[in-house]
Amino acid sequence: MNILSIAIKEMKHDFRDRRTLLFMLGFPIVLMLILGLALTNAFSSEISVGDVKVAVKDATGGGPLSEAFAGFAKEVGKTGVTFEPLKPGANGREEVENNHVSGYVELTNQGISLYGSSRDAIESNIVQGMLASFTDKYNAAAAVARIEPAKTEMVLATGGSDYIRELSVDANRTPGSVDYYALAMTVMVGMWAAMGAGALIQGEVLRGTAVRLVIAPIRKSEIFVGKMLGGIISNLLCVMVIILFSKYVFKAYWGHHMGVVIAVLVSEVVMAMSLGLAGSYLLKGTASRGVISLVVQLMSFFGGAYFPILDDEGGGLMGFLVNLSPIRWANHGLTQVIYADNVSAAWPVLMLNIGFAALFLGVSILAMRRREGL
Amino acid sequence: MNILDIRGLTKKFGDFVAVDNMSLTIREGEIFGFLGANGAGKSTTINMISSLLRPTSGEIRILEKDIAKQSRFAKTNLGIVPQDLAIYEDMTAYENVSFFAGLYGLRGDKLKERAEEALEFVGLSDKAKSFPKNFSGGMKRRLNIACAIAHKPKLIIMDEPTVGIDPQSRNYILTSVRKLNESGCTIIYTSHYMEEVEEICSRIAIVDHGKIIAEGTKEQLKSTITDVKDIRIELKSVQGTEGELLKPVPGVRTVLQEENVIRVHSDAAVDNLNRILKQLMDAGKEIRSVEEQEPNLETVFLTLTGRNLRD
Repeated sequence: MNILSIAIKEMKHDFRDRRTLLFMLGFPIVLMLILGLALTNAFSSEISVGDVKVAVKDATGGGPLSEAFAGFAKEVGKTGVTFEPLKPGANGREEVENNHVSGYVELTNQGISLYGSSRDAIESNIVQGMLASFTDKYNAAAAVARIEPAKTEMVLATGGSDYIRELSVDANRTPGSVDYYALAMTVMVGMWAAMGAGALIQGEVLRGTAVRLVIAPIRKSEIFVGKMLGGIISNLLCVMVIILFSKYVFKAYWGHHMGVVIAVLVSEVVMAMSLGLAGSYLLKGTASRGVISLVVQLMSFFGGAYFPILDDEGGGLMGFLVNLSPIRWANHGLTQVIYADNVSAAWPVLMLNIGFAALFLGVSILAMRRREGL
Repeated sequence: MNILDIRGLTKKFGDFVAVDNMSLTIREGEIFGFLGANGAGKSTTINMISSLLRPTSGEIRILEKDIAKQSRFAKTNLGIVPQDLAIYEDMTAYENVSFFAGLYGLRGDKLKERAEEALEFVGLSDKAKSFPKNFSGGMKRRLNIACAIAHKPKLIIMDEPTVGIDPQSRNYILTSVRKLNESGCTIIYTSHYMEEVEEICSRIAIVDHGKIIAEGTKEQLKSTITDVKDIRIELKSVQGTEGELLKPVPGVRTVLQEENVIRVHSDAAVDNLNRILKQLMDAGKEIRSVEEQEPNLETVFLTLTGRNLRD
């Protein structure tokens, strides 16, 4: 009962402190909106490719390759890739360099040469893929022609115009900018619990009320658990508000495993509270709050709360710092849960959070028992 | 019955001995004045009685139960009014009182009744739903008292409950202390205002360097210093050099300054008033009045400790 009344008192403090509450809820929501809108393009996976123009110089003097290529050019012309003869006197490579065309093809009796443009890498890749497909088919037809010339046409006709087949892996399930920041901000707010926890005991000492709590006929453990419980519930309510706001106002995608997502966030809040508490015991005085705030901000920065940090940026010192951030663990795990339906990705995050929470709580309990008063 | 028994109490912080083998007995129904200058050891003693600090050695008994062994019993019968305000500014007066009273096992209607009673006792019933952040200093001090008495403790420790408040609130608090005492509470009262202690305390202990150097009723304490006289001299202006000026006069022990008045404590057996006045006049001091007073508690304190209570 004492635990409950201390927890309720703690929640009253949290929800009556309008300035902190506004910061806890307003800041992430505003940031979600601003960053989500500002970085929309950075998260877009759509690339529009217009008509692709390729210059062709046929130096074969006619013949099977020339004929086959004409058929190929006619076929792919329907997809927006046009092969046009190189103008007399023009230099094909210079045409590419000057960006007049996306590629230049030379047909000789030795084979086909393609000069692509590094400026239009995607267009060049498309042309390269089509030509590779064409040469495979032409080589097969040439081999058949040597044995059974009558069936050459049939080989060239196989597959029709299917020179490029587009395949994508669940293209609709990649996070947009609002989705990304909804998750990142929620995880960051969960981690902010550490800052509140840093003042959990310090606050009572500074207010002078620690005296009244210690002289009351209750155990120190009841004070400790009550305060932790109140802090955890308050922070979780803030996290839930951010989730619901992002889901229903910003239409952020939270996947089909909300229970798992919430479980991860609960473990994160418990770990953050334990971290803040341990920090306040180990770094005595008001300085602890500054140190804890700094640590949380660094965790947010390296954890990708303000801008996405990709996996391939994970090398060296940066990679080391990135992987130390609990925000990174949670972001990474929850992205897998939400976008790849990979529920098992939550387990390592849960285990890490619970493990560190146990460690920090152990440190806090030891420090509390050794200390006179709170 | 003894409500508090302290035997051989010692508290050391490293090499510093804050409380030195102190023994003290307080009987039920007393208002006990606990006097000492800053750093004398009274707060450390109070903190050990309230279980905020663990004694290095010695024993504390509340209602004949050792607080180290039966701390729950001791805590239930103890109420503390700390020197610094110990209230939540963002909780209403009622919420403050009922929260702290709830920690003493009070629930439901009984809790409500006791919280309302405590607020009424300190004259804050009409402010029950107000937040202390909007209270005056005196009202906050009264709420501080209400939080300590709602669970009806038998022993209440009041550590300078009237610091920094207006005379009206101070009178209210002093009246409340008397009423609490009349209702059966034993009170340990510390203050830097000697006149308060003199007015309400039935017995007084003077603490210095972690030891009780004198103990008894105010009359008993005053009777211990018959060898000292207290001369009050009002000057036109005081420069602060008067102490040095009067030190060479035979019999002068201490010189205190209070605005335009200097108070000279001197050996009663030495007839030195004329020499004191001559010394002042030779230094160009303009004397407005001279009065020889009966020793009061302040004289006792000064004589015994060599320090002013507010030092």
